[in-house]
Amino acid sequence: MPRLRVTRRLFWLVPLALLPLPLYLDQYRQYVVNLMLMYVPVGIGFNVVVGNLGLLAFSNVAFFGIGAYTSGVLALKLGVPWWLTILPAGLMGALAGCAAGIPALRGVRLFYLAIMTLAFGELLRWVYIRWVPVTGGSFGMSVPPPSVFGWTLETEGHKFYVFLVLVVLMVVLTDRVLRSRFGRAFMAIKDNELAAAAMGIPTDRYILLAFAWGGFVVGIGGSMYAALVGHVTPIAFDLTELILEFAVIMVGGLGSLLGSVIGAAVITAAPEFFREWLGFQELLFGLLIIAVILFLPRGLASLLARLHPVFVDRYYRD
Amino acid sequence: MAALLEVADVTVRFGGLTAVDAVSLQVGAGEVCALIGPNGAGKTTLFNAVSGNVAVTDGRVTFRGEAIHRLTPHEIAAKGVRRTFQNGGLFGQLTALENVLVGLHTRVDSRLLGLLAGRKAARQAEQAATRQARELLDIFEIGHVADTPAADLSGGQQRMVEIVRALATEPPLLLLDEPAVGLAPHMRAQLGAVIRRLAAERGIGILLIEHAIELVMSVSDRVVVLNYGKKVADAPPDVVRADRNVLEAYLGHA
Repeated sequence: MPRLRVTRRLFWLVPLALLPLPLYLDQYRQYVVNLMLMYVPVGIGFNVVVGNLGLLAFSNVAFFGIGAYTSGVLALKLGVPWWLTILPAGLMGALAGCAAGIPALRGVRLFYLAIMTLAFGELLRWVYIRWVPVTGGSFGMSVPPPSVFGWTLETEGHKFYVFLVLVVLMVVLTDRVLRSRFGRAFMAIKDNELAAAAMGIPTDRYILLAFAWGGFVVGIGGSMYAALVGHVTPIAFDLTELILEFAVIMVGGLGSLLGSVIGAAVITAAPEFFREWLGFQELLFGLLIIAVILFLPRGLASLLARLHPVFVDRYYRD
Repeated sequence: MAALLEVADVTVRFGGLTAVDAVSLQVGAGEVCALIGPNGAGKTTLFNAVSGNVAVTDGRVTFRGEAIHRLTPHEIAAKGVRRTFQNGGLFGQLTALENVLVGLHTRVDSRLLGLLAGRKAARQAEQAATRQARELLDIFEIGHVADTPAADLSGGQQRMVEIVRALATEPPLLLLDEPAVGLAPHMRAQLGAVIRRLAAERGIGILLIEHAIELVMSVSDRVVVLNYGKKVADAPPDVVRADRNVLEAYLGHA
């Protein structure tokens, strides 16, 4: 289908169109846009595990926190420039992903897996609080201003460009994984684990791989958090944060890469729009989530998929 | 020459219950062997023992002369034993095309790092698999539903997609667990023709569990009858039809 091939390439126009954005935004609005960008990898990684692999694993804040702390500790304690901490943050996230995936290899599923992975996240929070010499305990740590190739990112606009590159990279790489036999294996395990094994798929290895990839991408989101907020504390990775991240993928669309991007944008932007109705912000935010889940159970991405086939998630290459 | 599949004195026990009791059977290349018997006779358990989904308590299963009864399901599948499932084993959210692509999984030569790096070889391996999957769907005359999610297909189309998926890697041995369930009579006849063709033209050995007795009689070279986990007959269809043990198994003691 050559026509479709051309239209998929049009997605590249989105980051290009965003390039002049810092010229028009003040520092606060730019910060909110950067926050949206940060939630894209956080949503993508969560969605690979919950939406594509189909396991009820709520360890996403653990990967997010590990990424943020890895970047923070390397930058603050060892003086490593921020850009060199991005990959280690991703790798630590992947490692945490593998650890969180182990119960699933023992056949733990559904609510049992949900509670075990929740406990994993809380366990890490206990480590952040108790391991004071490294993490700074409950008060957390201040991270030095992020730098890239010796340049310090002084304004929100500077961070924006670096974040945009990272986000495009994570979307492209995850798209490559999903639109291959690896992504198909994740989906097969989600729909019918027995049948997946009957196709010659070593399901255990693919479960670990999905957790590792999810952890990697979310870990990079954590590194972006350290650069964006400049302060890493245990409270940032609590259950409220987890619910927010869950809302990103539910509103965007479970199992949809495009959905993770849309969900990150909508969930981050919505509270800013609701700021005009002071006192009703949380109520409106809650209503928005309920409305989307009620009327679009497959998320906002499913709305786009109805408009044009180019927005339909696919797991092969033509 | 040794048989393609050899089941030798296989026993499967669940706790105190003996589901399959010292059953032996053989399937040769290009041979259609039907497995019949009343409900609870142990047919699906024997199937699961061959495909690695239940543990064999005693006995041996060999495929092409190699013991496979201690291997995991995915290892057995990778060796070329493919199966379908009684209650439909399709991946509902994936399209027909993507289902067949999962069937091709072990044949797609793309590595993770190659894909991540955007390597041409990895991309081409994926593209070649997609073309092959489309061709397979076309050959079995269901190419028009390639891009439809499997859950939205009709019962007959789902059966065909599942068979095409199981056949995608051209396995030497195919296990079909009640493929005719829920099919209209004309679809059953079509299915029978497909099974015969696979055995005759491609030399695939087929082990078939089926309750639709007219389908069994028309496609099988040999019929194995199980009752209470034991083999009570193993003969060509016309012989089995007249067998006293078989009548007893189905009708109770005469």
